[in-house]
Amino acid sequence: MNSVIFLTIVLLALSSYFFGRKKAILIQSNKRLTALPKFYGYYLAIWCGAPAFLLYALWSIFEPSIVRFFILSDYSSQGLLEGELNLFYEKVKSLSRNQYSGELTAELQRSAEKYLNFRDIAKWSKVVIVLSLLIASTGYAYTKISKNTKTREPVEIFLKGVFFLSSLAAILTTIGIIFSLLFQTIEFFQVIPLFDFVFGMHWYPAKAFVRDASEALDPSMYSDTFGAVPIFAGTFFIALIAMCVAIPIGLLSGIYMAEYASKRLRQYAKPVIEILAGIPTVVYGFFAALTVGPFLKDLGLSLGLEVSAESALAAGGVMGIMIIPFISSLSDDVITSVPQNLRDGSYAMGATKSETIKRVIFPAALPGIVGSILLGVSRAIGETMIVVMASGLAANLTLNPLESTSTITAQIVVILIGDQQFGDPKTQAAFALGLSLFIVTLVLNIVALSVVKKYREKYE
Amino acid sequence: MNKIEAKNVDVYYGAKQALFDINMDIEANKVTALIGPSGCGKSTFLRCLNRMNDVIDICKVSGVVKINDYDINQKDTDVVRLREKVGMIFQKPNPFPKTIYENISYGPEIHGIAQSKSEMDNIVEESLRKAALWEEVKDRIHEPGTGLSGGQQQRLCIARTISIKPEVILMDEPCSALDPIATAQIEELIDELRKEHTIIIVTHSMSQAARVSQNTGFFHLGKLIEVGSTDKIFKNPTQQQTQDYITGRFG
Repeated sequence: MNSVIFLTIVLLALSSYFFGRKKAILIQSNKRLTALPKFYGYYLAIWCGAPAFLLYALWSIFEPSIVRFFILSDYSSQGLLEGELNLFYEKVKSLSRNQYSGELTAELQRSAEKYLNFRDIAKWSKVVIVLSLLIASTGYAYTKISKNTKTREPVEIFLKGVFFLSSLAAILTTIGIIFSLLFQTIEFFQVIPLFDFVFGMHWYPAKAFVRDASEALDPSMYSDTFGAVPIFAGTFFIALIAMCVAIPIGLLSGIYMAEYASKRLRQYAKPVIEILAGIPTVVYGFFAALTVGPFLKDLGLSLGLEVSAESALAAGGVMGIMIIPFISSLSDDVITSVPQNLRDGSYAMGATKSETIKRVIFPAALPGIVGSILLGVSRAIGETMIVVMASGLAANLTLNPLESTSTITAQIVVILIGDQQFGDPKTQAAFALGLSLFIVTLVLNIVALSVVKKYREKYE
Repeated sequence: MNKIEAKNVDVYYGAKQALFDINMDIEANKVTALIGPSGCGKSTFLRCLNRMNDVIDICKVSGVVKINDYDINQKDTDVVRLREKVGMIFQKPNPFPKTIYENISYGPEIHGIAQSKSEMDNIVEESLRKAALWEEVKDRIHEPGTGLSGGQQQRLCIARTISIKPEVILMDEPCSALDPIATAQIEELIDELRKEHTIIIVTHSMSQAARVSQNTGFFHLGKLIEVGSTDKIFKNPTQQQTQDYITGRFG
């Protein structure tokens, strides 16, 4: 039913475009219009579609709670708890869908009938009211169309509003996510002291699994459970290993692509490098876990080294390979956009190609290169799958790349897999980790942007 | 004495021929102006003299260009040494995104000219003085060269070029992006520089050619139509085409 109404609105709006335009063309045949005929079409289509759609959307949002209010109004005076009312309402709904298998009471039956009744009324009144609004607004706009009607301005204002609402939606979503992280994190820190989280040396969330949910929360049982130092250290350590692989290879291949490679080679090689960026990280993950990890272990054995099959080196190294295309491709673009006249100036001084790259082009491109590296770092810190698959889940505090270690993202996965309970410190720990991760990447991005901006102004 | 002798120079961009059999002698310590309408090949010829055409992939140069009686178009010519001897100033000022000091010290450093910091300081000051820029920038030589005005930037580029004491300086429309006052300063400077350097300048402005040069070559459609003393070219050209161009009948 809903999709039928929706389609009807869309179709009517489309057809009113043609009516509006046709009327405008008819007027145009003897008098000059204030705008092109298509604007009259848009004008009518907006008047036809927008109010009806808005009403339709609002109705769909508020209908369930209004129906619920009417059904439960018979019982709200009986002093029932909110939970009991909810349960009753769910029973009513499942009975009305014939999916109820519990004990039937007269009350329940009566309410279910009432519910169906209300739903019916709501459905048909929605159709009638939405369509009549549509007809009224279209009719109003249609009669208003004359040679002097301003149509261009309202259409432009409407479009501006649509663009504004779209960006508003994006911004509000971001803010919503941040606040949900924030509130859960604050609750978490009411149980676990911030100091223990930031400076604690033991991360052992499995300990929190053993709590019986019916018992009262005792913060003392979580001491030495949520100390984030090992996983922060692990995160930066693996990111460091990844960048040790990605920066040299990415940067040098970017310079080669921009300065040395012939046009033909570049034409083919650049897309191939960029394909690396398109491989899903889970594929990198099993590459790391099944190929690189065991290879490193065997290599270590033959050298007499103790290497864990799940090592920070395997995860970091493969993550570095994943990040190469970001750095390579971005620094290639940045270097290519350094003006040719700087190169000419350097060559004309008798500089060789490598001198020119090292002393003129690289400094000029540096802000962009730094930006691309920081972007790579925030990818490395946010990467989850490779770590989960290749570096183990135990949060060891270690600086030995041959041992396994864990990261913020991997621990969030560990915490949120399986049964969880809202309001439990274990679940909330994931939010605290998420917020820390968010802050780190936010700071990185801000630094990257300001570096790029500062130097860009200086060089132009 | 002829500093540069070009013999039978042809230049192709891909399949398109840009210069046809150019023969031209350039005298030492004089200013030679190359004039002609747009696209006539005068800049291309200029870029043959320090092999800057090498930078362009599709460009092919044939013929002989002798500087100090040495053919620079040989395979084993050391382009780094050549460009140390033959400097170039471009149409648009192109200071490096570095400080004024580093802009000048760039050449001496890559060619290993200065042995010490104080020697480098001297080279920087001397170059800036010769480029008539020292007084304007002496208090801020450690600030970015890109912060200077257009005319100052171009003089900075001249200072950068003369820091390695080239014998020849090529100038590709050095004033086309500058205002009249900055242009006058550069022209004055060119006259000063020819005491120590041989200068070849490409220009669109015939009055500029008349003001700064002793010799002038007129290019048209990739051919060198006429070359001679500036006085003769402007007052008494032998070719009808030159006459037409000078008097503004075309171009």
